[in-house]
Amino acid sequence: MTAPPVVRLRPPRFRVDPRARRWWTVQALVVFSGPALLAACTLLVLSVLFFPGALPWLAPLLAITCVIPGLAYLIAMPRLRYRVHAWELGEDALYAASGWWWRKHRITPLSRVQTVDTVQGPIQRAFGLASVTMTTASTAAQVTVAGLSRADAEQLAARIGESARLERRDAA
Amino acid sequence: MNGHRLSPRTALVRATWLLPPLGSAILAALATGGRFDARFWIITGSTAAAFLVVLAIALVRLRTTRYRLTGEAVEMSWRLFGRRERSVPLDRVRYADITAGPLHRVLGIAVLRIGTAGSGELVLDALPAAEARELRSRLSASGSGGIHSVLSTMDVRWLRYAPLTFWAFGGLGIAVGSLYRVLDSVGIEPWRLPLVRGAFEEFGKSALWLTVPLLILAVVLLGALGATAMYVENWWHFRLAWSDRDELSVRRGLFTTRSVTMERRRLRGAELAEPLLLRAGGGAMVRAVAGGLGDAEETRSRSRILPPAPRAESVSVAARVSGATPGTLSAPDLIAHPRAAFSRRLRRGLFFAVLPGTAAFAVAAVLFGPSWFHGAWIWSLASLPATWWLAADAHRSLGHAVEGHHLLIRSGTFSRDTVALDRDAVLAWTFTSSPFGRRAGLVGLTAAVAAGRHGYRIPDMAADEAIGFAEGAAPGILAEFLVWPEEPPSPQETAASQRPGAETSRVTGHVGQQAIGPTSRR
Repeated sequence: MTAPPVVRLRPPRFRVDPRARRWWTVQALVVFSGPALLAACTLLVLSVLFFPGALPWLAPLLAITCVIPGLAYLIAMPRLRYRVHAWELGEDALYAASGWWWRKHRITPLSRVQTVDTVQGPIQRAFGLASVTMTTASTAAQVTVAGLSRADAEQLAARIGESARLERRDAA
Repeated sequence: MNGHRLSPRTALVRATWLLPPLGSAILAALATGGRFDARFWIITGSTAAAFLVVLAIALVRLRTTRYRLTGEAVEMSWRLFGRRERSVPLDRVRYADITAGPLHRVLGIAVLRIGTAGSGELVLDALPAAEARELRSRLSASGSGGIHSVLSTMDVRWLRYAPLTFWAFGGLGIAVGSLYRVLDSVGIEPWRLPLVRGAFEEFGKSALWLTVPLLILAVVLLGALGATAMYVENWWHFRLAWSDRDELSVRRGLFTTRSVTMERRRLRGAELAEPLLLRAGGGAMVRAVAGGLGDAEETRSRSRILPPAPRAESVSVAARVSGATPGTLSAPDLIAHPRAAFSRRLRRGLFFAVLPGTAAFAVAAVLFGPSWFHGAWIWSLASLPATWWLAADAHRSLGHAVEGHHLLIRSGTFSRDTVALDRDAVLAWTFTSSPFGRRAGLVGLTAAVAAGRHGYRIPDMAADEAIGFAEGAAPGILAEFLVWPEEPPSPQETAASQRPGAETSRVTGHVGQQAIGPTSRR
């Protein structure tokens, strides 16, 4: 079987900072895995102490609803994200790939930039990371590159601003 | 600031705040026969006090509000715990809507809402009606200048589509729900009322084969009646027209009149919406894809430019607003989506409709007795063909094409929406895929525009085709990230491409500070 030659979209050139994996792991712990595992532990301990009879059905139930999803998310999400997340600032456009289950590849021309924000949340700050968000007139064209090192983020934001200005001058 | 004042008659409208607590007190008095307990006094007293405070604030604001229109800006100020002022430059004004409720009309006043780019609404609540109209016509961005050409006006025969809208079902539920809430808030439990109990006991004793269909008929009739009333209230006096100033203007409403204007240069296309029932009845409605109508909620209600109407009328309006030919919208020549898109829809239906119902009946059978098993097989037998049909219809609906200056996207079965977007308006492209979709060779493509819903999605298109299609529909956005097979063919030949993320070679590891992309332009 020979497929016809087709035009392809290559992935963005640069990966995010490796420390982003740890940041996403902490995020997973705070948002979902931590609460799920904690709830499972609490219920199991209470069951052992006060209702030992409930253990035979409670333990498998908790394993399926809390422990396995919690652990799977904690282990898989940061790795998958790191494999997917990438970015590239081209001549005319910012190109970013993100997501882990749903993968999103977005290309937004620099001529449409309205604002460029560099954001550092408390957890990101602890790992020396930052995110760059480029907004346009359309919310569906907003691009976020998360998990860059602080220096990279600042430089990317500056470059986007500069390129956007140049684009505008060309257009005028 | 010196300036004009709001109409003092507005105070009467404000005072209607007091009606709900008053009404509930009267209701409670009627229901309990005049015997009040402590709970009644506490609730009525506290709500009345709260409403009085709100009324007082509103009256202070009303008395102290001043507004004026200078050469460059609309200004408004009021005093409430200090002085506030807002000024909106005229070139930031995006729309000016006049609304008037029934009471407003009796009093001859109207509310003027001035929408701005980025800083919310300026609401003049309320002005003498003539003054509101004059002010609107003086605001540069809106103005109901002369009518250039009328696109569509309300036709009484369209009312036959009203029972086919959501209101036929939702309206009744909302009415019953709010009645229950009102009764509950004054301490009446409807189930305890002798009237209601009596009715239910009678119902159980009577011939069910007769009363159940009668009840259903009554519900359907009530729903149809309510939906028709909603249609009349929303769309009476409807007129859609181009104004002299190149704006699309919509005027509608029976008791509450609404009028919306959209600048032609901010119109990016039109959307033909055909909800399932309406489609079965041969009707459709139209939404404009327009920017500058406010936040998402406001945009949704303001962009409705044609009520449920005959399909031919809807197609004609959508075509004239978007600039596409009527033929492209009514029977578009669309690229169909792969068979895998049908399988996905079918699996979704099985997972979210057939399976849960069957499982619920099976659990009931285990718990309450084997007669519930009948429910399980009846449910699966009934829901399987329905799911199959809906999935097939959803797959038939899917399609996309480039047609002249327009990008056409159609999708949906519960509401089949055909949108014609101005190709020049596409700001950015997004490709989305899930693991299941990737295995089936499908990808979602979203066109970003600064209007309407902002993201217009082509779900589940062939991954091989998506990139070439995007580059052909809005050339240039993807250009520098594409890998051509050998040499770039002409754009027409780029019908197929490969899914994103298939490329393997990439720079790994940490990126040095000097290596931020190939961005130098010098």
